[in-house]
Amino acid sequence: MQFIEWLSRTPLSLAIQTHPAVVPTIQSVHIVAIGVVVASVFMIDLRVLGWAGRDQTLLETVGRFGPWLSWALGVLLVTGALMVIGEPARELLSFSFWLKMCLVAIGTLIAAAFQITLRRNERRWEDSLVTRRTTKSLAIATLLIWVCIIILGRLIAYDHVWGAWSLAPKA
Amino acid sequence: MGIPELLAALEASSPAVRIRDSLYLFPLIESFHVIGLTMVFGTTAILDLRLLGIASTRRPFTRIASDSLKWTWAAFALTVATGLLMFITNAGVYYHNFFFRSKMAMLALAGLNVLIFDRTALRSIHRWDKDATAPLAGRAVAVVSLVIWIGIIFLGRWIGFTTTQTDLKTDTDVNIEQLFPPAAGDSGGAKGPR
Repeated sequence: MQFIEWLSRTPLSLAIQTHPAVVPTIQSVHIVAIGVVVASVFMIDLRVLGWAGRDQTLLETVGRFGPWLSWALGVLLVTGALMVIGEPARELLSFSFWLKMCLVAIGTLIAAAFQITLRRNERRWEDSLVTRRTTKSLAIATLLIWVCIIILGRLIAYDHVWGAWSLAPKA
Repeated sequence: MGIPELLAALEASSPAVRIRDSLYLFPLIESFHVIGLTMVFGTTAILDLRLLGIASTRRPFTRIASDSLKWTWAAFALTVATGLLMFITNAGVYYHNFFFRSKMAMLALAGLNVLIFDRTALRSIHRWDKDATAPLAGRAVAVVSLVIWIGIIFLGRWIGFTTTQTDLKTDTDVNIEQLFPPAAGDSGGAKGPR
C-alpha cells in the first residue's frame, strides 16, 4: 500500500497521469507488441505441430520469428512497466495482474528454454525434437498460455469478475 | 425503420441485454476481441514485412501467404463477431463516437487496400514471388496496411476511453483518490472500465 502511494507520487507517474492521451497511447503500443508476440509464437508453434512452414526447418522458423518475439517482449515489458508506474493501484491491486505475471514468467521461460535447446542441439536433433510428443504438447500449452495472458490482461480493467479473490478495494 | 430505431432495437435485443446483465460476458468478449485483433495484425504484418523485403525474404510470397492468410481470416471473423456483440450492448453511444466511426472508415480502407493489391501487384505474382522485395505497388500496399492496422488498434483503444458504459455493473476503475481519500467527500467521476 505504501509502495503504491509512493509510486503514484513519483514524477514519472505524475507525468503519465497528467496527460490524458498518455495511458491510451501506451496501451495501444502494448497491444501492437502483443500482436507481434502472438503471431510469432503462433507461427513457431504451427511449425512444431507441422501445420505450417514445412518447407522450412524448425531452426529457420525460429530464426525468422525468435528475434521479433524477443524484441516485442521487451516492448511489452517497458510499456507494461510504464502502465504500472502510471496507474499503480489499478495494476498492483488486481488479481488478474498477478496471475498474468505468473503466466508471463512461465511463457517467457518456455520460449527461452526452447530457443536455447534448439540452438544448442542444432540440426541433428531437429527431426527427433519436432516429432516428439512432449514438444507438440508444449506448443499447444504455450499457445493456451498466451491466450490466457491476453484475457487476464484485459481483465485487469474488470477485476471484479474474480469476486472475493479480487484485490481491488470494494466500493 | 430509421437508424435511431435500429440502434435502439439492437440495444434492446436479447443478446445485448444478456451481455449487459452479466458480470463476465462483456470482459470476456472484449478479451477475445483482443485475441482476434492481435492475430489479425500480427499475421498481416508477416505478409507486409515480406512484401517490403524486411523479413522472410528467402521464402516465396505465395508460400507465406498460404501459411498465414487463412488464420488472418479466421481471426478477423472472431474479431468481427466479438466486435458486433460489444457494439449492440451500447449501440447508440458507439454509433455516435468519433473514434468508432474513424475506426470503421479505416477498416473500409483496409478492405480497399486488399482489393488494390489483388488488382495490381498480385496480377504479376509469378514474376516476383521469389524476389526479396515486391514491386512498388506491393510495397506501397504493405506500408498502407501496416499504418492502417496500427491506426485501427489506436482508434479501438480510444473508443474505450471515450465511451461511458453506464450499464455495466461495477465501477472498477481504481484510482488513487479512492484509496487514499484526500478528505471526506465524493471521489472521482463515474467512468467505465477501460
